Amino acid sequence: MAMRSQVYEWDGARGPTPGTTGTMLGRSLSIFIGGVGNNITMPASTTATQFVVIEEIAATPTYFGIKSTLTLATSVRGLNGASTNSYFGPLAYAQIVINTTEYFQDPDNVSNYGVPGAASPYPRSVNFQPSFSLHPTVYVLPGQTWDVRYTTFSSNAGVALGDNQCFTKYTLYDGPDSLIANKLLEMGITVNPGNVDWYKRSLLSAASAPAPTNGA
Amino acid sequence: MFWTFDFPQRLSSIKKKYINNPKGNKKMEMKKMAMRSQVYEWTNLAPTSTGSNIRQSNDPISVTVDAEKALDIFIGGKGTNITQPASTTATQFVVIEDIAASPQSGGALNVRINTTDYFQNPDVTQQAGVPGLASPYPRGTTSGGETFTLGEGATGATNNGGSNVIAGDNVLPSFSLTPEVYVLPGQTWSVLYTCTATINGGVTLANGTINVGAVAAFVKYTLYDGPDSLIANKLLEMGITVNPSNVDWYKRSLLEQQSRAMATPNGGA
Repeated sequence: MAMRSQVYEWDGARGPTPGTTGTMLGRSLSIFIGGVGNNITMPASTTATQFVVIEEIAATPTYFGIKSTLTLATSVRGLNGASTNSYFGPLAYAQIVINTTEYFQDPDNVSNYGVPGAASPYPRSVNFQPSFSLHPTVYVLPGQTWDVRYTTFSSNAGVALGDNQCFTKYTLYDGPDSLIANKLLEMGITVNPGNVDWYKRSLLSAASAPAPTNGA
Repeated sequence: MFWTFDFPQRLSSIKKKYINNPKGNKKMEMKKMAMRSQVYEWTNLAPTSTGSNIRQSNDPISVTVDAEKALDIFIGGKGTNITQPASTTATQFVVIEDIAASPQSGGALNVRINTTDYFQNPDVTQQAGVPGLASPYPRGTTSGGETFTLGEGATGATNNGGSNVIAGDNVLPSFSLTPEVYVLPGQTWSVLYTCTATINGGVTLANGTINVGAVAAFVKYTLYDGPDSLIANKLLEMGITVNPSNVDWYKRSLLEQQSRAMATPNGGA
């Protein structure tokens, strides 16, 4: 299984150290090793024979609205907020980091907090649909370390299960498929399962082609 | 009128440095990530009801947005802002692929390149731009100014804090930004938000004397940097749409051309 679709879901309320407002508010937390919510044992990285393509990141959405005169609601469409404000949800963002480089930047070329959950919601629903797709995809080359960082800016969104979530979908190319992925990258061809299969078919076709009559 | 198709020329310096590095340090070169999907979100949220903040702040409150006044979502001085006007350097090329805004209060977005507004009326007069109703953010949000329909509260009262709210409709996009908007190297660009009704800042009071609003705008663009910016310019000259697939196609064309040249006895000279 040298080419595998992979997912990772993070929830701030899971794991041995559930998040609190104090540990999460305004902090850029690694969803892998941030010490809050469910984590893994070591930073996400690729070996010399692995190639990762990050295809999607998403986070808990936020709802923005105008309050009608007599409403002091604290919950809208399943998202929590303050009765005095008109936004509901964690005001969350998800950023990709490759080695030490943050992927998403503002137009002033300064790194920002990443993709807003309102643009790439997790989970998706009729009420919250994506405005963003990660295209072109993000490549993690062999030997690199990568991370997804979650930041929330609302202390009124709650810290229960489902209040702060982050999701990433990626494809792991291992062994010979990793070599092919590198080759495709050099050739300027998008690395995806279809193109990796195409390259394999090309190699097989070349190998099975009849040899020239002069043996050259 | 004749279109001249300019076959991809060899950009040997680019190839040597970024594509086919003979020193074998390709990994380092690729870390430049020269073609990147980028997003920007503006909200009328800041630490105070009149100000702005560089990017998002903790537990922000709504900032007042005046009706019928175009507000630069990057440096407009209201809500979340950035440090300087959005612009491209000599080695950057930006393709704006999507703009969207909260549909409430008649919100609309326009793109401005240098001093030229992109969306105009048929009589070439100014307009507010793409309505949030046509390109909503977030997708699936509600449309009306009276956004919240009060549901049955915990005590059955109609005005109790902590009540659940049954939200209204789901606005979906009627608009997509095709063709995309190009920001060429050295240009300045901005995105302007306009609403037809004033959005109140501050906090909602228990006596219901103020309707506080939180609105947002969203821009999705792709930043081509370094050699990919040169390729984007080349594609533009050739009349080919600038997108990641076509930039990759151009790179492949360069590599194939180089391979053919190396295969010939005199090196293709």
